[in-house]
Amino acid sequence: MRWRSDIDAGVQLCLHCRKLHPLERQRCDRCGSHLFQRKPHAVIKTFSLALSALLLLIPANLLPMMVVHSLVGNDAGTIMDGVIYFLEHGEAWIGIVIFIASVFVPFFKVTTLFYLLFIVYFRLRDKAHGGLRLYRIIHFIGKWSMLDIFVVALMVGVVQFKNLATIVTGPAAVAFMLAVVATMFATEAFDTRLMFDHETQRSTHG
Amino acid sequence: MKEARKITACAECGLLVDIPLHLGMGQYRCPRCHGLLYRRGQKFSHIIIMATAALTLFIPLTFLPVLDLDIMGQESSATLFKAFWVVYEDGYYFIALLALFSGLLAPALMLTLLLAILLPIHFGRRPAWIRHAYRLYETMREWGMAEVYLISIIVSMVKLHGMGSLRIGPGFYIFILFFLLFYIAAVWFNPDDIWIDDALEK
Repeated sequence: MRWRSDIDAGVQLCLHCRKLHPLERQRCDRCGSHLFQRKPHAVIKTFSLALSALLLLIPANLLPMMVVHSLVGNDAGTIMDGVIYFLEHGEAWIGIVIFIASVFVPFFKVTTLFYLLFIVYFRLRDKAHGGLRLYRIIHFIGKWSMLDIFVVALMVGVVQFKNLATIVTGPAAVAFMLAVVATMFATEAFDTRLMFDHETQRSTHG
Repeated sequence: MKEARKITACAECGLLVDIPLHLGMGQYRCPRCHGLLYRRGQKFSHIIIMATAALTLFIPLTFLPVLDLDIMGQESSATLFKAFWVVYEDGYYFIALLALFSGLLAPALMLTLLLAILLPIHFGRRPAWIRHAYRLYETMREWGMAEVYLISIIVSMVKLHGMGSLRIGPGFYIFILFFLLFYIAAVWFNPDDIWIDDALEK
């Protein structure tokens, strides 16, 4: 069975309200968004954002997320310190949740984005279905990497005892948040239809 | 007589698919990649009730404490908003503003937009600004993270209970309820429905 795509038919889909339009049209007449057949500059945008996320993840994992000032001294903890703390104190499941949300997910997302770009760049049409499945996963879990940022904000908000104990946000939080935002924008910028395009283009040209 | 059909394209793989012009209650998926093409949402009046209820719950959230911590007689409590305010005062403006936006403001804004879109349609009108409200709603959907914030409260509780005696404030329960109503409203609403011509009759 040969599939026919929007490129073969010379039409473009409005990604906001899903109306089909002829190629000449610039804006959707139903919801007013900009029209394009494929997201513009998808590959280069995804690549640069995924690369910046990867670079930002280095300081995010090496610098302290939050600093605890207390009577017994100052204690600066990175993400992994938090994970290890929970594993050692018998609350293993919380440690695992933090590890998955803050360490595994960001790296998994960046790796997946590079893999998807690899599929598009080398026209690996047979990998498209698996790629789309991975894309749906990273699209779904994307926001969960923000978990640690919210935890830091809450801890800092609650633990404000002037001389007994105070928690201050650490520099890694900035890098971590930027990394998460970069991966979210990278996921948005990628166009999964690019992975499916080569087969249809080949079939139309002969 | 043959059923009227229309051609649409899959947003995920670009395949052209023809689906019935008048969609029933069923789901339509792309035959190639199984991406969702169409799913009928709930009645607009039901969504309006859910969204209004959720927005009402948002008001007490602004001042009720979620967590109370007691260390050696000294007490400190945090509301959902105060947590970000302290981070802001520490000088981490970017974190505070983005977390505030995605954790609390975006969900509230989504509910407001939902009402702004559905109320006029429910009363039989379709003002021109609906399309702008709808586009903003779609953008917010990517950035609303109420569920992540909710789970992070639970993680913070586990982290904090070793430091002193911890009490869960009423804000926490209201936040759970707020999230449930918000989530139901968001799931029930299928944006495609507002563009269908029979939307006025729903």
